[in-house]
Amino acid sequence: MADEDETKEYRWESGYEKTWEAIKEDDDGLLESNVADLVARAKRKRAALKATGAIQLGMMRHLFVVVDASACMFLQDLKPTRFLCVLKLLEVFVHEFFDLNPISQLGILTTKMKRSEQITVLAGNQKKHIEALQHLKDLSCEGEPSLQNSLERAMNGLKNMPAHSSREILVLFGSLTTCDPGDIQKTIKSLKDNNIRVSIIGLAAEVRICREIAKKTGGTYNVLIDDHHLKELILSQVQPPAVAGSIEASLVKMGFPGGTPTLNDGTSDSSADHAPAYCLCHIDSETSSLMGPNGYNCPQCGSRYCELPVECKQCGLTLVSAPHLARSYHHLFPIKPFVERAQVPDATHCFACAKLFVEAETNVYECENCNQIVCLDCDLFIRETLHTCPGCASDPVTAQMKTN
Amino acid sequence: MEDKEERIETSLVAIVIDATPAKKFASQPLDGSSMMNRIFDSMIAFGNAHLMQASHNKLAIVACNSKSTKFLYPSMDGTSRSYHNRPGQYDMFAKVDSDVRHGLGELILNDLTNNDSTKSDSLLGGAMARALCYIHRVQRELSLSHQLKPRILVVSGSCDSALQYMTFMNVFFTAQKENVVIDCCMMDTDSGLLQQGCDITGGQYLHIPSIAGLLEYLLWVFLPSPSCRSKIVLPPPAKVDYRAACFCHHKLVDIGWVCSVCLSIFCKFSIMCTTCNTEFKLNRPAIVPAKSKKRARIE
Repeated sequence: MADEDETKEYRWESGYEKTWEAIKEDDDGLLESNVADLVARAKRKRAALKATGAIQLGMMRHLFVVVDASACMFLQDLKPTRFLCVLKLLEVFVHEFFDLNPISQLGILTTKMKRSEQITVLAGNQKKHIEALQHLKDLSCEGEPSLQNSLERAMNGLKNMPAHSSREILVLFGSLTTCDPGDIQKTIKSLKDNNIRVSIIGLAAEVRICREIAKKTGGTYNVLIDDHHLKELILSQVQPPAVAGSIEASLVKMGFPGGTPTLNDGTSDSSADHAPAYCLCHIDSETSSLMGPNGYNCPQCGSRYCELPVECKQCGLTLVSAPHLARSYHHLFPIKPFVERAQVPDATHCFACAKLFVEAETNVYECENCNQIVCLDCDLFIRETLHTCPGCASDPVTAQMKTN
Repeated sequence: MEDKEERIETSLVAIVIDATPAKKFASQPLDGSSMMNRIFDSMIAFGNAHLMQASHNKLAIVACNSKSTKFLYPSMDGTSRSYHNRPGQYDMFAKVDSDVRHGLGELILNDLTNNDSTKSDSLLGGAMARALCYIHRVQRELSLSHQLKPRILVVSGSCDSALQYMTFMNVFFTAQKENVVIDCCMMDTDSGLLQQGCDITGGQYLHIPSIAGLLEYLLWVFLPSPSCRSKIVLPPPAKVDYRAACFCHHKLVDIGWVCSVCLSIFCKFSIMCTTCNTEFKLNRPAIVPAKSKKRARIE
């Protein structure tokens, strides 16, 4: 695999790499267990790299995605064409992005024929973006891309965003050239002044100016190797990035609708709250529907919405529900990596999944807080998906959450 | 005409039962035996009924109290205990019965040492996390011709524990990702957190009016799998309270202030966040001497 460090040795300069020697057959002549072992090791290494401690992450993200729609995107080195492959992966990206960053906003731009066009405005509603991406499939790719125009347009959109949010641009660039109206160094300077971080994914080869933009603004630049690598690169942008430089922290006012007023609360329960009403999110479109009492009312102005999260059109209050915020909490309370050790004779079963430890499993993993032993698969599951150690949650002392 | 291979649907139910013995209702006598016995008898009968539906069906039972959590079935003991089955009884039913009773005995004996178990909360979050890990393992081990349809049934009588909020939410989001449906059968009290969980994963939440009829509710409402629940008339879903609780008083708020760094929720505007200790920029206009004072403090 080619690496992109500064001090690299070209492939033809190094000696022969006998990669087949890494794979050995086990006693029965089967390769399966060996391959599974290598895969598990690679997974663990990757997961361990991600396990970082108390770094400030940008949770409220405003991200613009710039898709290159120039003539070179019709090349078929990614099946069926580069453009369609990128659009398909972007749909997955949008879904995962809103899954992991529920209070963030996304916007989509394209660049072709030396101009850039806005496909969707910055919004937090994932359905609109996915629909727009599906309509984009019919777009014809022609002309040359313009990096400066698309960055300027994205910057105009991000300049007015509040200071506490993390401003980002993701460019999917497939061309080796760009046609700019002015000096791109000025654009880079104003991007830096506005605290905007630009990450670029190259689909063809490495382009010097892209490397410079990414470096100066604090983003990343990667060139893909094949379509699986592209998926990995795009999905790596889903994780909230560490905060670059200084972001001003502020207290954001948010509304939490959807409460059932109980008798103990002071909130008023007028019949207007439950009467059928049109939802404000669809009132401009033809498909607006009359909703029953199962919508969400803005606590400040009383307007009705059919889904969350949304920004109230009438009073400007951001409406979210508690699970949306809770989705990001696991970044703030990460679990410490488990310690690898040789099999212990007392622990016959994995604590998490009750699997019997067989002789072939040489390593088991132990949590430092609760000292419970789990197997490799549970370790990966806990680290990547569950984000809670079952041992710590089953111990009355460590199960209490630290809130202050 | 499409020739799709029919994959065998294997339904896995993981029952998470809250075995806190000090609850008021659990020690009331009913029909000669205590309520706790009745609850466990109903649960074993439900488990066996599920196993009876199809030969591929799988079952797991996890119990918890305020001290620990334990896998009752499949049992984690190395020793294979001999169990007596009545002639003509399916072997697996007798195994479930014997494992559950033995495991439950051990769990309760562990708790007898300390008397203040009434004060601390039941460790439901930990039990659900272990059930999820077990489901994940079964999914990995199952061959490709089987398709697993997992669900978790929580049978509990304890109220919400605000301190286990993070564990519960992580479990709910993981269940949503892994397509695991969480159902909940509440005896005695309501639980807002479990209501949210059932709503997030698309499961059924039911608060039982009478505990004596537990088995009837389990068999009628929770035994059908989620795919055929649309054809059955089930109790309507309750309106879930999605408001958040503020970190300072643990009171539910309608409009709150959220710290942009750590996302903790406060009910009142304040200068510093207590969770992450960041100072906030004040957006309000102030008189000039006070402004310079604030500037000096922030720097």
